[in-house]
Amino acid sequence: MFVSSYRITKFALQNFWRNFWLSIITLSMLVLTLVTINILLVLNFVTNQAIQTVEERIEVSVYFDKEVEQSTVDSAVEYLRGISQVRDVVVVDPEKALENFSKNHKDDESIMASLEELDSNPFGPTLIVKSYTAEDFDIILDALENPEFSDFIREKDFSDYQAIVSRIKDTTDNIRFFGMVMSAVFLLIAVLIVFNTVRIGIFIHKEEIGIMKLVGATNWFVKAPFILEMIILSFVAVGIVVLVSYPVLAILESKFALFFGGVQVGLINYFEINGLNIFGTQLMVLIAITVISTLLAMRRYLKV
Amino acid sequence: MIRLKNVAKIYPPNIVGLEGVSLHIQPGEFVSVVGQSGTGKSTLAKLLFAEERPSRGCIEIGGWDISRIKEKDIPILRRQIGVVFQDFKLLPKKTVYENVAFALQVAGERPRRIRDVVPRVLKIVNLDQKAGRYPTQLSGGEQQRVAIARSLVHQPKVLVADEPTGNLDAINARDIIDLLQRINEFGTTVLLVTHNREVVNRVKKRVITIDDGVIVSDIEQGRYKI
Repeated sequence: MFVSSYRITKFALQNFWRNFWLSIITLSMLVLTLVTINILLVLNFVTNQAIQTVEERIEVSVYFDKEVEQSTVDSAVEYLRGISQVRDVVVVDPEKALENFSKNHKDDESIMASLEELDSNPFGPTLIVKSYTAEDFDIILDALENPEFSDFIREKDFSDYQAIVSRIKDTTDNIRFFGMVMSAVFLLIAVLIVFNTVRIGIFIHKEEIGIMKLVGATNWFVKAPFILEMIILSFVAVGIVVLVSYPVLAILESKFALFFGGVQVGLINYFEINGLNIFGTQLMVLIAITVISTLLAMRRYLKV
Repeated sequence: MIRLKNVAKIYPPNIVGLEGVSLHIQPGEFVSVVGQSGTGKSTLAKLLFAEERPSRGCIEIGGWDISRIKEKDIPILRRQIGVVFQDFKLLPKKTVYENVAFALQVAGERPRRIRDVVPRVLKIVNLDQKAGRYPTQLSGGEQQRVAIARSLVHQPKVLVADEPTGNLDAINARDIIDLLQRINEFGTTVLLVTHNREVVNRVKKRVITIDDGVIVSDIEQGRYKI
């Protein structure tokens, strides 16, 4: 068994060296397919991170009238906290609201001058309501229409984060679709090249295969080197992608950090935690695809 | 050793390779199968090592009915039958030693046994001094001796030689036939397929003559008569 395995491996490596350039082309296509799939993975991760970052910033500021009673504000807080789409409600008292406003507009001379002209604090209590996702926005705004306290609300202020989120999703969906099409195309090309590599290998080794059969080699012994060659190529392809991934991810991480205003997206961390699963799955799928292509090519061209 | 009962081989659409062939070859016999080109001699040889399947009839080798042999059993059969061809079928990029060892390697034999068997068979065919040469560095006769050595590594009970002298000059042809006779003397049954009159007449053993796929004569100590 060990001796046969050794010889099968030897013949598989001989196949690789004797068709060196063809093997390199096959390997390149396998690597290219994996790179495309991994670009899709990175894109998916970064998109999710971007959406999460935007969604974490979604908040509605609810400004109450100055004369509102504290019990009304308290019941509004309680009511809002009871809604499952609400992540958090922060109450800002009038003094703090004035302080925040002054801090935010300290460079705007006209606003600061207007404030100084007022005798008293113009701000009433303010609620800052945070949601989980952009889609929850409408539900929170509807909830604020509750007649128990809606009459005391002077103003509601929110940015249109939903539009931002939907723009991110639209763009990445398009890129993702394009990426998936490219992956499928590369995969198809890889399958055809594997098929062709095996076919040419069979033709090159036709004489040798004939003699092997003649002197009593089993079908398995004849076929195994071709299958093993493709398994080795799959391992090498995944190995190359793993080796290339780390430096590329490190570069991307720093670029994304710049894009997200210094926030680390955790790309390397994500791959460190899930790398075994990601590359393990890719290896298994790649082996399955190359072995199936090899078996099909052998069934078509190798009569043993 | 070899028994054929009413064997026929019909190629599509309706070309007769062999028809109604029945014969019995005893263990240790040396049998020449003669006939003109295209009469069915090689078809008979191919049936014996299962490169072809009979359309009808029964073929037994050592009591084993190989008429309907399963794919997975063919390698087992071929390790019991040595085969030699007119075109030698050697691997040009392998040395004499490697060509002979190849037959054992593909059968999963251990390196130790290969190191033991290969020099012995090369000595039998008198090529032990040329083990490191490549086929292109050998004469036709020597190449055929390498092929015979390769066919002997599994110590076959039957050796089928299909036109082994077809590509050789008279002197080399004589050497090969002498070698086959020597192998036969060791107890191996030899089936020599040839259309070489001189070879058959030199052997002076049983001669089966085939014409148009049918055995037309089977003589114990025959001569080439066509």
